[in-house]
Amino acid sequence: MNEERSVATISRRTLVKGAAAGSAACLVPWSKMAWAAQDCSTLRAGIAGYSVVNVLDPAKASLIPEFYVIWALFNCLLKFNEKMELVGDLAESWEHTSPTLWRFKLRDGVTFHDGAPMTAEDVKFTLDRVRAKDGDSPHKDKFASISDIRVVDPLTVEIEMAEPFAPLLSYLANARTGSQIVPKHLLDGGDERSFADRPVGTGAYKFVSHQPNVEIVLEGHSGYFVPDQPFIPNVTMPLIPEEASGVTALLGGAIDLTSTAPFADVPNLMQNPKVKVLRSPGLNTRFIALNHQTAPFDDVHFRRALSMAFDREAMVQIVLFGEGTAANGLIPAALSWAHEPKRRPLMSFDPERAKAELEKSKYGPGTEAVVLTWGAGWWKRFAELFAAQVNETLGTRLRVEVSEANTVYSRLRAKDYQASIWGWLGLIDPDEYTYEILHTDGWRNFHGYSNKDVDALLERARGEMDQARRGEIYKQAESLMAEDAPVICCFESHVHNLMTPEVNGFVQLPYSAFGGQLAAVTSC
Amino acid sequence: MTGLAITGILLFAILVVAHLMPYSPTEMSFTAVLKPPSWEHIFGTDSFGRDVFTRVLYGARISLLISVCGVALAMSIGTAIGMTAAYFGRLYDLVAMRFMDLLFSFPSFVLALFLMVILGFGVVNVMFAIALVYMPLFARLAHNMTLVVREEPYVQAARATGQPSIRLLLREILPNIAAPLMVQASIGVAFGIIIEAGLSFLGLGVQPPTPSLGVIMADGQEYFRRAPWVLTMSGLAVCFALLGLNLLGDGLRDLVDPRLRQRAE
Amino acid sequence: MKTLRYFIGRLLIAVTMMVIGALAVFLVMKAAPGDPALAALGEQATPDAIAAFRAEHGLDAPLIEQFVSWLRDMIGGDFGRSLTIAGGESISKLIAGRLPNTIFVGLYAVLFATAISLVIGSVAALRRGKLSDTLATSVAAVGVSMPDFWLGYVLILLFALTLGWLPSYGFTSPFESLSGALVTGLLPALAISAPMAAVFARTLRTSLLENAQRDYVTVARSFGFSERFVFRHYVFRNSIIPYIVIIGLQIRYLLGGVVVVERVFGVPGVGSLMVDAAFARDYPVVQACTIVFLAIVLSVNLTVDVTCAALDPKRTQ
Repeated sequence: MNEERSVATISRRTLVKGAAAGSAACLVPWSKMAWAAQDCSTLRAGIAGYSVVNVLDPAKASLIPEFYVIWALFNCLLKFNEKMELVGDLAESWEHTSPTLWRFKLRDGVTFHDGAPMTAEDVKFTLDRVRAKDGDSPHKDKFASISDIRVVDPLTVEIEMAEPFAPLLSYLANARTGSQIVPKHLLDGGDERSFADRPVGTGAYKFVSHQPNVEIVLEGHSGYFVPDQPFIPNVTMPLIPEEASGVTALLGGAIDLTSTAPFADVPNLMQNPKVKVLRSPGLNTRFIALNHQTAPFDDVHFRRALSMAFDREAMVQIVLFGEGTAANGLIPAALSWAHEPKRRPLMSFDPERAKAELEKSKYGPGTEAVVLTWGAGWWKRFAELFAAQVNETLGTRLRVEVSEANTVYSRLRAKDYQASIWGWLGLIDPDEYTYEILHTDGWRNFHGYSNKDVDALLERARGEMDQARRGEIYKQAESLMAEDAPVICCFESHVHNLMTPEVNGFVQLPYSAFGGQLAAVTSC
Repeated sequence: MTGLAITGILLFAILVVAHLMPYSPTEMSFTAVLKPPSWEHIFGTDSFGRDVFTRVLYGARISLLISVCGVALAMSIGTAIGMTAAYFGRLYDLVAMRFMDLLFSFPSFVLALFLMVILGFGVVNVMFAIALVYMPLFARLAHNMTLVVREEPYVQAARATGQPSIRLLLREILPNIAAPLMVQASIGVAFGIIIEAGLSFLGLGVQPPTPSLGVIMADGQEYFRRAPWVLTMSGLAVCFALLGLNLLGDGLRDLVDPRLRQRAE
Repeated sequence: MKTLRYFIGRLLIAVTMMVIGALAVFLVMKAAPGDPALAALGEQATPDAIAAFRAEHGLDAPLIEQFVSWLRDMIGGDFGRSLTIAGGESISKLIAGRLPNTIFVGLYAVLFATAISLVIGSVAALRRGKLSDTLATSVAAVGVSMPDFWLGYVLILLFALTLGWLPSYGFTSPFESLSGALVTGLLPALAISAPMAAVFARTLRTSLLENAQRDYVTVARSFGFSERFVFRHYVFRNSIIPYIVIIGLQIRYLLGGVVVVERVFGVPGVGSLMVDAAFARDYPVVQACTIVFLAIVLSVNLTVDVTCAALDPKRTQ
C-alpha cells in the first residue's frame, strides 16, 4: 500500500528533477555495463556475512573469511573432495610406512607466486612454524604429536609422530588448520607482519590488494600446477557484512557468486531462474552449551530432560527454514564414517520421558535459567524456539538474553554463563567434534564436562589408524556422551552457494572451501 | 486535527484492540508459519507462526512506552539542567551547556549504540539511551528560552519579593517555556521510536520475548524476500505511529507559536 | 580583534570538547564487557595467543596510561593502527578511505533533500490552506515518519530488483569513478534524503510563512510589486537562514546516523566503521572516529554560526 504511494511520490519527484532524471537515464545503460562482468575476465566472488579480514598468514589466521581468501592463495599437502575423501593437493602420493611415520611425495614443478619453486624445505618450514611450542599459532595444538619432520630429498618429506595420531592427515588437508604451505625463503627470518598483509603462496590466485572491510582483489597465478587453471584470470572478493545483502547484490548483478546464503531465502531462490543454488549437508554442529558448574545444569537428569523436551525437526524447519538436518550427536552426517545414522532416543522429542527425567532431577518445573544468544537473525530464533518449547514441555522458566557475539564468547570461555547457544563451523575431523569439545582437556570444552570413560575412548580413537574401526569408537563415545547430555545437540545446517546461471565449474564442499573452489570455475 | 485523530486511533488500537485479539503476541504455532495476510491473520504470521498484527499492536505499545519514558526522562533532566544553567549562570552555565553540546555533537544513533554496548540490551537500557540522546536538545531549548523569560517583568518582580529560586523556576519560568518543550517532546517520541527500531534492527534492543516494532522489523528483514509482509507491515505501523505523532507535534506547534497564529486567516 | 578572540575562544573550547569526548568514549568502551583479543583472534584463540595480543597492544596497562599515550600520538598526528577490525591497518588510511564516501553520499542526499523540499516547501507556503498545501505537508509528514533503512529496503525492492534500473548493493568510490558513484549512490542518498527533505520542507514553509507577514514585506507589497517578485526578493532570501542552520544540524545525522542504510546498501562509510569497531572493541578506531566526528561537527557549527551572522539582515539594517 505504502509502496504504491512511495512510487507515486517518487515519480513525481523525478518529474520535478527533470534534469537530474535525464542524466540518470543517460547513465543507466553505461552503468549496467560498467559493473556487469565483461567477458568474464573477473569473477566477483562475494564473501557474505563477514567484513573483517585481519591476517592472511595461514599459521596465524583464525577467522572464517580469512580462510576463504587463504584457500585461494595457498595449497596444503592434501585436500578434501566433495565426498570428504582425502586426495593429494601438493602431495602426489603418500604412504604410511609405520604407525608413526608418514612419507609424502611432492609434486614437481610447483611454484610460488613469486616464481620460486616449492620444495620439501618449504613443507618442513611451514609445519615446524605452525607447531612451534613457543610460537603463537592458534593451530599449534593440532600438530602437537609430531615429533620430527625430515626432508629426504627436495620432493620427499617424512613426518614422524610421537605416537600414532589418526587425525593428522585431516589436519594436513586444506581446511582451517593452518597447514597451508608457505614460502621458507620469504618467512625464514623475514618480516611476518608484511607477509600477513601481502601473502605469497602456491595457490591458483595471487594476492593483489586488500581494502579493509571492503574487498580483496586477486589475480591468476600463471604457474599454477593444475593445467589450465585458473580459468578466470581475475577475482574480486567484496566483503559484504550482511548475508541478505549478498543476495541482493547477486540478484542485482553486482556479484557473480556468494559464499553463503541466508536460510530464509534458499527455498525461494531455488525457484528463481536467475539464480543457481548449490546446497548440501554441511560440516558444522549447533548446540546449546551448558555450564556444568552452575545450577541447574549440574544435574544430569535435568540435562537429559532438556534433550528430550523439544522437537529438533521442527527446529530445523522453523529456525533454518528446512535448510539443515536434526543432529544425532556432535559429529555431523557429512562425516558419514563416524556418524551414527540410527536416531538416538535421548536426542528425540519425547515429552513423557522428558518429564520423567525431570522428576528424577533435583530441579523441577519452574526452574529458571538464562540462555544467551546474540544478533537479530537465526541465532536468536534458535534460542527463542528452544526456550519456548522446553518451557512448554517441562514447565520450566528458561529466559533468553540477547547480547553480542563477542560478549557471549568471552563469557563462555570464562564459564560465566548458564546456557548459551553455540556451534562450530567447518571442523573437518571427528576428533575436533569430540575430543576438543568433550574431553576433559579439550580446549573447546567450556562446559566443565569430564567423563573418564569418554576420555579413554576418544584417546583410543586418536591412535586408531583404521578408519572403519575408528568410526565405531566414535559412535560408542557419542552414545556414552548422549547419556550425560553435556551439551544439547540440535542440528547441522546446510552449506549454500549462490551464483548466476552463467557460473559453471564451481564444486561445493561440505565445509565451504570457498576460495579454493574458484580455480575450477570455467565461466561467469 | 488529523494528528490527534491518528494518534487517538493508535492509542485506542494498542490499548484496547490488543486485548481483544484472539492471539497472544508470544504464542507460537508451528503449523501456521509465514502465512501471508488473510482474514484470519490480517498482517500474516511470522517465522514462529505468531500473528503479526497482534505482535505489532503489542510492539507498538512497548516502542511507544520506551520512547515516551525516554523522552520524559530527557525532558525532565534536560529542562532542569537548561533552566538552572540559564538562571544561575556563570561557571555552572558554561560547563553544563558545553557538556550538553558535547553530547549533542555525537550522532544520536552512535550515542545510543555506545550506551547499549556498555549497559547491555533490554527495555530499560534503550530508554536510557533515548534519554541520553534527547537530553541536550531539551537542555538547549530550556536554556535559550529561560534566558529570554528571565528578563521578563513578572520574573523580576517575583525575585524582588524574595521568592526562593527553585520555586521561582518552577512557578514562574517553567509554565512559560513549557509549550515549545511539549512540541519538541512529541517530535522526540516520534524519533525515539525510530532510534529504537534502528537499534533492534541491528540486534541490540529489547530482550525476547518482548516484541517491539524494531524487533519485528529486524525479524522480518531476515526473510524479507520470502515473506515481505512482516517487514512491510511493521514498517507501515511505525510510519503510521510516527505520522500521528508528527502531525500532533505540528498541530501543537501551530497552536503554540504566536507568530504564526496571529495572522492566520 | 573581538572576532579573533571569539574565534580562538571557540577553538579552544572545541579542542577541549574533543579530548573530553574521546576520553568519555574510551572509558565507555573499556567498561563494556568483551575482549578485543577475542574479536581479533577468533574462536580458535589459545590463552597464550590472547595474552600475547594483550601484551603487544598494551591492553593491560592502567587506563590513564593507555589514554595518555594515545593522546600523545594523536597530537603528533598519528592516529594509530586498528586493533581488531582491520588487522593493523593505519587508521588514518581507513578513515581517509571512508570519509569521502560518507561526504559524497551525504552531499548527494542533501542535494535531493534541498531540491525536493524547495518544491514542497514553496508550494505549501504559497498555497497555504489550499489542497496543495495539505497534500504537500502530508507528503512531508509521511517522509519524516519513515525509518530510513525501511525506505532503503523498499527502494531496493522497487528500483533494483523489480525494475533493474539501479544496482542493489555496493558503492563505487567517487575517486574511482564519478559516474559510478553517482549511480551506486543514488538509492542510498534517496533513502537518507526522505526524512531530511521533510524536515527541510517544514522549516522552509514555516519560515516563508513567517517572513511573508513581516512588515517590510507588507510595505513592499504596498508599493505595488507583484506577489511573485515580493516572494522571490524579500521573503525567500530571508528564509534561507534557518535553512542553513537546519542543514548544519543534519551533519551529525549524515555522519553517523545513517549506519543502517550504509549496511543495507554496502556503502563503506565512517558511521559503519565506528559501529563495527565498537562491536569488535577496536578502541583506537572508535576514538579516532570520535575525534573526526567531533571535529567535523564543531567546525560545521562554527561555519554555520559565522554564515548566519554574516547573512543576518538585521546586521545590514
